[in-house]
Amino acid sequence: MKPSEVGYIIDESVLMLKRRKGATSLSVVIMGLSLLILVMFVLVTLNISGIIGKAGEELRVYAYLEDGLGSDASRDIQYRLLGMKGVEEVVFISREEALDNFGEALGSDSDVLEALEENPLPDAYRMKLGPEMYRSDILARMAEEIKQWEGIEDVRYGRRWFERGEKLVRGFYMTDLGIGLIVLFSVVFVISNTVRLTILSRRRAIDVMKLVGATNTYIQIPFVIEGALQGVFASLLAVGLLALIFTLAKRYLPGLVFFGTEWVAGFIVFCAVLGSLGSFLAMRRFLKM
Amino acid sequence: MKSTEKRIIAGVYHLSKDFGKQFALQDINIQIANGEFVFLVGPSGAGKSTLLRMIYMDDFPTAGQVVVGPFVSTRMKRSTIPHMRRRVGIVFQDFRLLEDRTVFENVALAMKVMGTGMGEIKRQVTDILTRVGLYHKRYDYPTALSGGEQQRIAIARAVANSPSLLLADEPTGNLDPVVTRSILELLFRINAAGTAVLMATHDFDLVRSFGQRIIYLEEGCIVKDKEMIYVGDLRDRIDDSSVSREADRLSGHDIEEDR
Repeated sequence: MKPSEVGYIIDESVLMLKRRKGATSLSVVIMGLSLLILVMFVLVTLNISGIIGKAGEELRVYAYLEDGLGSDASRDIQYRLLGMKGVEEVVFISREEALDNFGEALGSDSDVLEALEENPLPDAYRMKLGPEMYRSDILARMAEEIKQWEGIEDVRYGRRWFERGEKLVRGFYMTDLGIGLIVLFSVVFVISNTVRLTILSRRRAIDVMKLVGATNTYIQIPFVIEGALQGVFASLLAVGLLALIFTLAKRYLPGLVFFGTEWVAGFIVFCAVLGSLGSFLAMRRFLKM
Repeated sequence: MKSTEKRIIAGVYHLSKDFGKQFALQDINIQIANGEFVFLVGPSGAGKSTLLRMIYMDDFPTAGQVVVGPFVSTRMKRSTIPHMRRRVGIVFQDFRLLEDRTVFENVALAMKVMGTGMGEIKRQVTDILTRVGLYHKRYDYPTALSGGEQQRIAIARAVANSPSLLLADEPTGNLDPVVTRSILELLFRINAAGTAVLMATHDFDLVRSFGQRIIYLEEGCIVKDKEMIYVGDLRDRIDDSSVSREADRLSGHDIEEDR
């Protein structure tokens, strides 16, 4: 393609955008709102998985020791625990300490403990795990393994709570994926429909261009550019509206986080590609006729 | 008298076309030599437009083939059609100008799609617009022009790339007799400069006086192909050249009234 041809194609694109301002901006609004639904869900997911991630840091696994275990055996267990994959910290909690903690947790009801003749709680090791361990199946396997060891009474880590949280996050991801697919389809559909209307309104010009020997590329590129620009404007609209909603929501939930710049940039590029794809598909169908 | 060397620049060979059960053209054979002027005459529905569309490859024959320069319809890739169109100028009854562009831009479009440089385009378009007598209207929009003027612009666009063949489908169908003459004269002049012209018309009375080769088409068949009997500058054959000058003046006058 000659450089002058590139210039003419750009001229054609500008001319077309000027002519079709009304219809183009309408479809930009529709696409922007559809995309808004998508980015809103993704942002909610991002925040929720952030919260869950933080909760993971609070996760502690307790390995309870059998009664009357000697200090050597206890020490052995501590080293074995420290040697396990993903274990970052192992702290010994004596039964006395545990009872005190329990008493603190009961608060004003702690006097019920005085009814006990002896401390029913076992000694224990409390483990802090690395983030690679925050998966219910990994945790369950680990707990099972430790439970087999000699001198271990039981292993606990708030299993039910953890699995529930995990399910919640997975549910959000699936919803995002579903909504994402629907929105993507509708955006491509809206764009290719807009372009089809543009094509019909410019049919005469396209016919004339074909008559005088314009290649399909020459005819197509302005439409593809139009689609890409629509995608860009729609994504800007969506991100702008989301930022607005975010600012309002942050007043009530100060811990909320927004997308990073590279996410936003990536999203805009993605929508540009989506837009040009929609155009390209509509155009290809038309030029084949 | 133009080039004495005869070369076939376009031809259709055993061309048939049907749309479903209905045949539109049957076993058509035509050869057009360089610099030739050919009228394709027949009543409406005879298949003239269909035949022209086959020649500029907007549609393809059911059987047989079309050859334009090096392009052969049966061996064409779709992607080469644009390149074939650049060698053939096409004019229609309804002008097909782009109303959102000036006269200059309309003519320039044909060269732009080839990627011709702007300097060359300016030079060439200026030259062509001068030749069709409408250089002074270069910044006007087609809607501001009379029918005759619009057709001149369409012709200017069709010959912008100096095609070897100009196809004209009822180019005078929308024009009054006086303007029709002036358009015919313009086509003769273009032909005299070396471009072969194939003009389809239903108006036999209009063309019989010129003594040109006339192909008669009826119900999709060639019923007669009268070879050229007169050779020479066709402009001499216009009954009264003062009529065409009058036509120019009148068509100019019409616009003044339109405004």
